[in-house]
Amino acid sequence: MRFKSLVVLISVVSLFASIPGARAADNTVKIGVITSITGSQAAFGEAHKNGYLVALDEINAKGGILGKKLELDFYDDQSRPDQAVQGVSKLVDQDHVVMLLGAYSSENTKAIINPVTMHHIPLLIPTATADNVMDSKSPWIFRICAGAAAYAKVWIDFLKKNGAPKTMAIVYEKTNFGQANMQAMKQAAQAAGINVVALEEYEAKAPDYRAVLRRVKEKNPDVIYFCSYLLDATTLMRQSQEVDLNPRYYTAAGTGFSAAEFPTAKGAGKNAEYTLSVSQWLPEASWPGSKEFDAAYFKRTGTHPAYHAMQAYQSLQTAAHAINNAKSLDAAKIRDAIKNINLKMTPFGPVKFDATGQNQHPVLITQVQGGKYRVVFPADAADAKPIIPAPKWSERH
Amino acid sequence: MVGFLQACMDGLLIGALYALIGMGLALIFGVMRIVNFAHGAFLMVGMYATWLLFDRLNLNPYFGFMPAGVLLFALGYLVYKLLIQPIRERSDFMQILMTTGIALILVDTAQLSFGADYHQANIELVSRSLHFGPFVMNAASGVSFAIAAVFIIGLQLYVFRTRTGQALRAIAQNRDVAPLMGINVTRIQGLSFALGLAYAGIAGGLLLPALYLFPSVGDDYTLKAFVIVVLGGMGSIEGAAIGGLVLGVAESITSLYLGNQWALAVDFLLFILVLSLKPSGIFGRQRA
Repeated sequence: MRFKSLVVLISVVSLFASIPGARAADNTVKIGVITSITGSQAAFGEAHKNGYLVALDEINAKGGILGKKLELDFYDDQSRPDQAVQGVSKLVDQDHVVMLLGAYSSENTKAIINPVTMHHIPLLIPTATADNVMDSKSPWIFRICAGAAAYAKVWIDFLKKNGAPKTMAIVYEKTNFGQANMQAMKQAAQAAGINVVALEEYEAKAPDYRAVLRRVKEKNPDVIYFCSYLLDATTLMRQSQEVDLNPRYYTAAGTGFSAAEFPTAKGAGKNAEYTLSVSQWLPEASWPGSKEFDAAYFKRTGTHPAYHAMQAYQSLQTAAHAINNAKSLDAAKIRDAIKNINLKMTPFGPVKFDATGQNQHPVLITQVQGGKYRVVFPADAADAKPIIPAPKWSERH
Repeated sequence: MVGFLQACMDGLLIGALYALIGMGLALIFGVMRIVNFAHGAFLMVGMYATWLLFDRLNLNPYFGFMPAGVLLFALGYLVYKLLIQPIRERSDFMQILMTTGIALILVDTAQLSFGADYHQANIELVSRSLHFGPFVMNAASGVSFAIAAVFIIGLQLYVFRTRTGQALRAIAQNRDVAPLMGINVTRIQGLSFALGLAYAGIAGGLLLPALYLFPSVGDDYTLKAFVIVVLGGMGSIEGAAIGGLVLGVAESITSLYLGNQWALAVDFLLFILVLSLKPSGIFGRQRA
């Protein structure tokens, strides 16, 4: 009996002793990263990971954070929201990271908002475009990328200046990302007087979209707007060719249609040609440091990065800046430092968070031309003219 | 009308693969009265085998499905001998636990060996299509349909025209009397289990070019296989073939008229309707 209580006492004491000691004793600063290394979104998780690692090397080469070595603690959410939630507990409660970056998808990011807020730890969101990830008004949540409403706005501007189409069909995958982008686009289109003639939701796991695309074809829209991840984007374009769907504009809410693999043989190949998509960054972007990031990423992976990798890179850079400014590893102090951050120029453009925690980031429109993404809008950033309408499938070679 | 006929055709093309899956499950259920909850997991193994042959040796999936089928046949016989035969006479509950356990082990083994990543076999044929007047057929779907048709008819002939097939049907009709007629029940059951899994493997190989591959890809197909077998009448092999085609067409038509998000729901609607209105299956005869 006495022995038992002694064991309990020792374990309780050591438990308490270990918590405050863990951070101070180390010569490293640990930042937690939740992303989708495996599962359906692994292509983006891989881009994330490499983006983070490029930033990590740069930061440590310059002496780390607060004189300590920076370490990243990756948690693979397997592209599943329940796993992302577990990642918050694992990284914060067990690994004692000082802040979090992630997740990849809007679905998984939405899932971790409440756990993050409850753990009182800052979260910087690199890529989730669904605007509802910012709905909680939690002071711990910051987002570096532009969201669905910003996408919809730039599309409307672009379409008005490029032929002013009258009708649109929206085809979207059925998780948070697809639904949020569909809602944003539907509202923006209706406000601009574009008639939304079809809203088609699909399950990314059932890869036969021919019936969906035939329904769209019957409505004969001027514009088709896809909200899709990578494998579904590839299949959608292949099957659009098969059912001979010929809208004047193939447009998309980035993501799968802006992934580095999409215009290559690993993705949709020549079926990707003429698709318009939004982008938040390209290697050719005029912001200083873009080329250097592209080169460092290429050295590491042998491929050129798309914007997802850059957003991961800039999230970690921003986090490092904030912690250096905070001069502390205290969560509340880091949070306030992120709030006050004002980076005039980074490879991802200026970074500054508004009162809601949102970074105001400009959105570009790209078109696949000759197997490459070319910027076609806005005019001051464009390096090519948009090809409109997209040629009919029967006229392509 | 063109849209409707086109949807029917697309449905039949995928339905032939469903038929293969359903026939495998029906064969196992008919001869052994075992509900194989690992059917989808074995299909997944067939897909991985086909994908590995494609990825490493550049073997086209439309040839790669054959070694995958042979592998599943051997695996099936082994699983029967080691795991199923010892519990053959035990309660249904034991069999459910056993097959569910096998499924978990297979899925987790795949995850450990290949990760949770999605893979796709990008072959040239998938982006080709054939035009017949107003109708379009994907070339890859056409090839997989033709191969599936051969196997569907083959199994049918095997079961109804050969002596082994006769023995198989005898066991399905009455397992207690069959051994009195000189039938080696253990051997025939082992054979039908192996053959059932070989069909799952073949279906997996043929599905690969049209689908993405990941460790839990089989889950949906276990459920679909149940629906097909129930539609066709429990344990009836020809019924399962028709059940598969019906399911394919039902999904495709639902997708056309109601939208893709309802296509999976229609599976279960059919399942519930058949179970509550005609439990012997649409094409099934009542069994003792």
